[in-house]
Amino acid sequence: MTEVLPVEDGIQERVETILRGFQINWMNLRDADTGKILWQHNDDMSNPDVEHEARVPKRILKCRVVSREMNFSSVESMERFRLEQKVLFKGRCLEEWFFEFGYVISNSTNTWQSTIESAPESQMMPANVLNGNIVIETKFFDGDLLITTSKVRLFYV
Amino acid sequence: MGLLNILRKLRSHPEKELRLLLLGLDNAGKTTLLKQLASEDVTHVTPTAGFNIKSVLSNGFKLNVWDIGGQRKIRPYWRNYFENTDILIYVVDCSDHQRLEETSFELAELLQDDKLCGVPLLVYANKQDLATALPASEVAQHLGLHLIRDRTWQIQACVATDGTGVKEGMEWVCKNIPVKK
Repeated sequence: MTEVLPVEDGIQERVETILRGFQINWMNLRDADTGKILWQHNDDMSNPDVEHEARVPKRILKCRVVSREMNFSSVESMERFRLEQKVLFKGRCLEEWFFEFGYVISNSTNTWQSTIESAPESQMMPANVLNGNIVIETKFFDGDLLITTSKVRLFYV
Repeated sequence: MGLLNILRKLRSHPEKELRLLLLGLDNAGKTTLLKQLASEDVTHVTPTAGFNIKSVLSNGFKLNVWDIGGQRKIRPYWRNYFENTDILIYVVDCSDHQRLEETSFELAELLQDDKLCGVPLLVYANKQDLATALPASEVAQHLGLHLIRDRTWQIQACVATDGTGVKEGMEWVCKNIPVKK
């Protein structure tokens, strides 16, 4: 047991170092057909201890396709940076996206935008059903190391 | 011609995931071009200190466009993003006469790289709206495009800020995506 601990400590230290220098600068949602921003948030949403809330205009539900975009900075370089993003309805996964960035340059600022065009038959549920029940969960990894989780709960106003 | 339209055109293509790589010197207009493709506002584009990626998924087809910052200090990292590239898009600011040699040098380096061997090349001769911009044909000569023998290439005059010529370039891209071995 004592031989295992130092390795674990090393991993933990690495995660903490990356996390200290990691920040989500902003996130937004756009109507992907027009490119217009429907919602943007400029605070760090990478704090894993807090579930963030987003108040999104109801008309977003009328959009055929919505893109999700996030801008993040990292002080540390990373070799195998990746994320797993899920859209959860009452904890059930409606959409998920695994994306591998690979190398992240030290002291870089980067953006990733994802757009999913869904089939028409799986069109949006009404706002009152979705309201407060949709969470966008994004997990950031370097290889197998979980760096942080960002959770944003959507309210339609 | 948005990114979703490009994907729709590719439905009959055997590859299910495509990777376009946008490179060029700083201030060439790579990010503006990418935003133009997504119909986004291009009035507040700032220098890219890392990468910008747009990922689009439709009917099981995935398109990833990678725009990597062009500043001198970032260029050594370009290589990290070469792997699995289907098309290389190189953007040139045609009004930047002083750096024509520099941009030719960087492109030559890219074309010599093993990881980009045989990857089709689209050059966007950008900023054609500026009075001092060299025409695409002259830029092609400076870049030595006519000497390329190991890949298919195209040069396309464009104005990334208003979209002129962007669509034509992307149409060429759609027609020239190689089938991976």
